[in-house]
Amino acid sequence: MENLQNIQENERTKFAQAVTNQPDGPGKRVGKRGELVLFGKVCPGGAELFRKRLPQFQAEAAYWEKRVGTVHDFRAFLFDNDTRILFLITYDGDFKTYVSDIITQAHEWFDNFFPGIWEGYAGSHDPRSVQLVMDGALTSELFYVAHPDVTVNDIEKMKKLSKAVNDMLDAAN
Amino acid sequence: MKLELNDIQGTVLRNRPMPYFGSYLLFSVQEKAGARLLLRRLLPYITTAADWEHPLEDAWINVVFTFEGLKKLGLGNDILLGFPKEFQQGMAARKEFLGDTGDNDPQYWDMPHGGTGFDIGLFVMANEETLREQKISIGHRALAGIAGVTLTTRLDVGVPPNLREHFGYRDGLSRPFIEGEGGTPLAGQGLPVKAGEFLLGYENELGEVAKGPGPEVFWKNGTYIAIRKLKQNVMAFRNFLKSQSETAAGQEFVAAKMMGRWRSGCPLALSPDRDDPELATDKERHNAFSYYDDDLEGFKTPVGSHIRRVNPRDALKDTIVNSRLHIILRRGAAYGPMLPDDAIEDDGIDRGIIIAMINANPGRQFEFVQSQWINDGNFISQGSRTDPILGRKDIADDFVYPAKPVRKHMTGLAAFTLTRGGEHVFLPGIRGLRWLIDADPDEQLLI
Repeated sequence: MENLQNIQENERTKFAQAVTNQPDGPGKRVGKRGELVLFGKVCPGGAELFRKRLPQFQAEAAYWEKRVGTVHDFRAFLFDNDTRILFLITYDGDFKTYVSDIITQAHEWFDNFFPGIWEGYAGSHDPRSVQLVMDGALTSELFYVAHPDVTVNDIEKMKKLSKAVNDMLDAAN
Repeated sequence: MKLELNDIQGTVLRNRPMPYFGSYLLFSVQEKAGARLLLRRLLPYITTAADWEHPLEDAWINVVFTFEGLKKLGLGNDILLGFPKEFQQGMAARKEFLGDTGDNDPQYWDMPHGGTGFDIGLFVMANEETLREQKISIGHRALAGIAGVTLTTRLDVGVPPNLREHFGYRDGLSRPFIEGEGGTPLAGQGLPVKAGEFLLGYENELGEVAKGPGPEVFWKNGTYIAIRKLKQNVMAFRNFLKSQSETAAGQEFVAAKMMGRWRSGCPLALSPDRDDPELATDKERHNAFSYYDDDLEGFKTPVGSHIRRVNPRDALKDTIVNSRLHIILRRGAAYGPMLPDDAIEDDGIDRGIIIAMINANPGRQFEFVQSQWINDGNFISQGSRTDPILGRKDIADDFVYPAKPVRKHMTGLAAFTLTRGGEHVFLPGIRGLRWLIDADPDEQLLI
């Protein structure tokens, strides 16, 4: 943890989580959980497109993010008078490692939404898009997560297991 | 699409002679003039993919450079800083990401890396043990009378006539078919992989031309190789198998489940219940399998087994992973004598494997496979569980495979392998090598 010398030990600090930077790219990391803040500029007229396309993008989010399989939550919004866009993501594991996979595999989702909205987005098949993501990425100053060692996949598994145990108990009853 | 075979160092495309006796000779550079002279003398002996079948003096010689080596040869920052970050930093500096911590830490490595004197490397190969010495003498002759370059390490490697590595597995069975390499793919090699995954200057699986830094003549037909030296604890491996089963057949079965192949090389996917050594030797059959339609849950080939981790074929089709972006061309060779089958305790002799993984994008290929697939289990919903054979065991030491009526869960897996060396190296094409030798016009060398 950074700036340890500035921490005054007390009964609350013993719960402190070990926060590091992602070993391979932007974002903070606690256990298996990483985070990413991503800024972009909005194209002229992009705000209208954003609002028009948003319902479809939102409706398909669960499908695509389930395929990604590591994203806990994902938020996006416009600010600064609709001139800038901000994405906030928490996810499992490494980020940079998967950028090429995500952009090429979920290209349909991105390509139906971002062109004309996110300035510089050249399409999922253009290497400049990966660079755009890397250039716009920032690291949070503060990061807390509950259950830093449980991934989306782990939660899926636990849900399955919990259901199986309950079904068994119900059957035994 | 045609590859420029006469400009590509042979090890990229061509299989090694079998059986095979090789050496890694590592050089440290103190003066660039000496290094350039050494390279100039070696240049005629470098074996290309075009003359692989009939190499000069029966020698197969390839030459590689670490980032530090290229720096010492005098390349400018305009070129050096254009190399991939992984290559610039060197593998030792990547230790946290790659899991080379604890007992695998670079402080225990006995093979030099870029930070400890590995600047230039020669791979020398011969098909007879006696011939190897002659080939190595080419390196010694080239070095004669040169000041400012030191041969620091010689590591002999090979594939014994039985083609087995130290744990007893037959090795070298599966490799991708590269677009333009010539010939036709074998069954199970799948769609040819774009050449740009393994060679700079060609289109890759992202539809881009893979490029290097500086002038095209320098990097075209070049590539990167991730070299790993892994010490194998053979007695710990055998003891683990014995702890799991009292019978030889039972131990073979556990070994097969961990690898995904019987030790003969026969894949579990095609013969899940019994070994079929004949199938193992049939090139048209021993790779002819996939997982998605036939064995998604891993009842035959466990999802956590070694071969399914490092080459998931079509198993991850339902996930975001594009497996075609993470293919490596792998060549393994053993070092050290085999531990006799009847040994009752470890003899203390160092033995293991040197793995050379050819990739045009070290971050997206070798480092992805090592960090995500070997040293993690989340991609197959197995938490932190690592590769049963190659994975680090300090974060998880168990292995599981589905069985009827209940799964089989084994604990207490030891660190069967320990990292004892590793580096990302650049293997230029022949024109690139010549460019590198001539790049500094101030130096007119006397040969």
